[in-house]
Amino acid sequence: MDFDFSEDQVMIIDSARKFLEKECPKDKVRELKEDEKGYDPELWSRMAEMGWMGLILPEEYEGTGMDFFDLTILMEEMGRNILPAPFFDTVALCSLPILEYGTSEQKKRFLPKIACGEEIWTLALTEPSASYEPSGVELRATSLQEDYVLEGTKLFVPYANVADRLLVVARTSQEGITVLIVDSGSQGIRTEVIPTTAHDKQCEVVFDKVRVPKDNVLGEVGKGWEIVEFLLQRVSVLKCAEMLGGAQFVLEMANSYAKERVQFDKPIGSFQAIQHKLAEVFINVEGLRRLVYEAAWNISTGSPSRLLTSMVKAKANEVYQQTCIQGVKVHGAIGFTEELDLSLYFLRTKASEFMLGDTGFHRERIAVELEDYQPLFMSV
Amino acid sequence: MDFKFGEKEEKLRKEIREFTKKELPPGWLSSMLEEESDDKDWAFAMSMSKKLAEKGWLTMSWPEEYGGKGASLWEQLVYSEEASYWGIPGVTMGIGGVDWVGPSLMMFGSEEQKNKYLPLIASGEPDGIWCTAYSEPNAGSDFAKIRTRAVREGDEYVINGQKIWTSAAHRARWCWLAVKTDPDAAKPHNGISVFVVDMKSKGITVRPLMNYVGLHIFNEVFFDDLRVPAANLVGKENNGWYQLMHSLGYERGSIAGRCYGYNKRILDELIVYTRGNGLFREREIRHKLADIAVELETQKVLGYETIWKMSKGDSPVYEPSRDKVFNDHILERLAMLGTEILGGYSQIDPLSRNCKWTKLNGHMEKLFWLFLGFAFAAGTDEVELNIVGQFGLKLPKSY
Repeated sequence: MDFDFSEDQVMIIDSARKFLEKECPKDKVRELKEDEKGYDPELWSRMAEMGWMGLILPEEYEGTGMDFFDLTILMEEMGRNILPAPFFDTVALCSLPILEYGTSEQKKRFLPKIACGEEIWTLALTEPSASYEPSGVELRATSLQEDYVLEGTKLFVPYANVADRLLVVARTSQEGITVLIVDSGSQGIRTEVIPTTAHDKQCEVVFDKVRVPKDNVLGEVGKGWEIVEFLLQRVSVLKCAEMLGGAQFVLEMANSYAKERVQFDKPIGSFQAIQHKLAEVFINVEGLRRLVYEAAWNISTGSPSRLLTSMVKAKANEVYQQTCIQGVKVHGAIGFTEELDLSLYFLRTKASEFMLGDTGFHRERIAVELEDYQPLFMSV
Repeated sequence: MDFKFGEKEEKLRKEIREFTKKELPPGWLSSMLEEESDDKDWAFAMSMSKKLAEKGWLTMSWPEEYGGKGASLWEQLVYSEEASYWGIPGVTMGIGGVDWVGPSLMMFGSEEQKNKYLPLIASGEPDGIWCTAYSEPNAGSDFAKIRTRAVREGDEYVINGQKIWTSAAHRARWCWLAVKTDPDAAKPHNGISVFVVDMKSKGITVRPLMNYVGLHIFNEVFFDDLRVPAANLVGKENNGWYQLMHSLGYERGSIAGRCYGYNKRILDELIVYTRGNGLFREREIRHKLADIAVELETQKVLGYETIWKMSKGDSPVYEPSRDKVFNDHILERLAMLGTEILGGYSQIDPLSRNCKWTKLNGHMEKLFWLFLGFAFAAGTDEVELNIVGQFGLKLPKSY
C-alpha cells in the first residue's frame, strides 16, 4: 500500500498545471463559451505537442505508452483548470475503445491521427430518451450490400460540431447493438448545437440514410454494448478525475474567500457556520480523490471493478455538485454572478453528471452488484 | 501508487479468519458496542483478550520488549478491520489500554512505568484493563477547563475532584487520569498533568450512569483526598495537554480500520437480511444500501490514507478528525436504515436477548440507540469539524 506519486506522475501534474494556467486562463475559457467551435485549434495542437492525446497509446501508434493512472491525473488537471476542448471525447471516449476493440488495421489507420492531434472524435451514444441503458439505443443500422444505412437521432453528442469522426452506437438487430466508425462528412448527417447552460457544444446529430461501410464496424457486429460497458466501467473514471479536479479548485476558491472576506470584523471562515460547511466539503473531496485513484489504479493494473467504478461515478456526481453549491453559499451573492470563476465550474456540473451515467443510474448498478455479491461472513 | 496489501498482511488476514471461526460462537454478531455492561459479556470479552494476547495480536504494533510483535501499521490495520468485522470482543483492554495508554507510556512514561504497565496490557489479563478519565461536568469539549486538582505533598500527589462519562471505570484496574496541577497557568492548557491511578485506591468512588436504553457503559468517578505516588505522574508536570494531543493521533489512527470493519459487517448483514425477505427488491431500500456502500468504500480508502501518512512518519493532524466525522455520518445512516429495514421489529428492546422476535441479534436497535453516544465520545462532530477546518483548511480558529 503506497499512495505516493511516481516521479513521472509528479511531472505530468506539474507540467499540465503550468501549461493550462498559462495557455488556458479563465478569459480564454469565457471566450470559448461564445466561440462557434468551442475550442481553440492552436491550443489543441500545442496539447498534441505535449503528447497528451497519445499519452497512453503505444509508441507504434505515435503515443507515449504511459498508463491509465497517468491519464487519470492528467484529466484531474484538466478539470481543475477547465479545458474547453474535445479531449475527453477524442481520447477517452474514442481512442481507448479503438485501442481495446479495433482491428490492427483500424488502430494503424486511426490512432496515430488522434495521437498527433490531427483528428477530433466523439461518441454518439445517447438519444432523445437520454438513457445509458441498451434500450435507449434506437438508431437503426440496416444492412445494405457492403454498407450499413443509419437512420435516427443522437442527442447530447459532445463536440459533434467539430468532430472529424464519430463512434456511433446503433441497433443492428432486435437484440444486437453495433458500434460504427462514421465520417462526420458523410452524406445525410445533420448536426446542430444544443443550447446547453454551459455552452459546451453538445449536439443533436440526425442520421438520414447515412451509409457506412461494413469495414467500419468497431468490435463485433451485435456486440457493441460490450464497448459501451467498457466506457461505463473504465473510461468513466477519467470523467470522475476531471470532476475531482474541478471540485478541488472550487473548494480552494471558497476556502480562500472565507479567509479574506470580513464581516462582523472577522474573516467569515472563523464562523463555524461557514467553517463546518467547508470542512464537510473538504472531507468529501478528499474521499473522492482516494476513490478515483483506487479505481484508476485497479484499471491500470488490469483488475477493473464494475462495482467500484459505479461507486466512484455516483460519488463524483454528488461531491462535485455539493462542492459547487456550498462554494456558492460561502461566497454569498457574488457567488451568484457570472464574473466569479466558480460559475464556470458550477455550470459544467450537469454535463459531467450526465456523462456516462448519472447518480441514479450508477446507484442501480451498485445495487445490482450487491444483489449477487457474497458477503465475507457467509463465505468463510 | 499501490492499493494492494502485501503478503504478510494477507497471511495475517487469513489467520484471523481462521481464529474467529474457531473461537467465536456460530452466527456471532459483535458485541463490541457494550461489552463492559453485562457480566457475562465482559467475561467472554476478557477470555478473548487473553487469546488475542497469546496470538500476539492484542498489542501487535508494540515493540517485542513490551509484549508486542513490532508489527507494521498496515498489519495493525488489517487486524483492526478483521477483528471488528468478525466482532471479536476484548480488543481494547478497557478504554484506551491498547490504543493510547500504551503508546503514551512508550512516548512519555518512565522506565519503571513502561516495565510495569505495558506487559500488563499486553497480557490480556484483567490487571491490564484501563479506563480513561478526561471529561468533567463542566469540561466536555472545552477539556482544558478541567478542575480536578492534584497537589504535590512530599512523594505523593493528593487528588480531589470529579470525572464523568468515564466508560468502563467499573471494570478497570487502572485509570488514565488528566488533572489540573497548575490552576493559575496563563493558558489553561499549560496546567494539565496525566497520572496513572490504581482503581483499588482509597478515595475513589465509581457511580454508574445508565444510558437511556439501560446499558451501563459509563460512570461518574469521584476523587476524595486520593493519594497517588509522585512516581505515577506520566511525563512532565503540566505537560499533559501536549502529551494527550500527541497520543490522540495514534488513538484515532488505530480506530480507522476498526470503524470500517464494523460498518462493513453491518452493511453485509443488512444486504443479506433484505435479500432474504424481499425488501432488497424495493428500489428505495436497495438504493439506500448502495449509497451506504459508496460511503463505506470511501471510508476505507480515507482510513488507508491516514495510515499511509503515519507509515511515512508523518504525524496526522486533521486526518483522524476527518475520519471520525466521516464515521459518525456513516453510523447515523446505518442506524437509520437498519431500523427502517427492521420496521416494527426495531421496537424490540435490544437488551432482551431471548425474545423470539428479535432480528439480527438486536444489533440494529443497539446501533440506533448507541450511535449518538459514539458521536460524542472522543470528540463531538462539531469539535472534530473545528479541527478539520483549522488544521486541514488552515482557517482561523472558530471557537
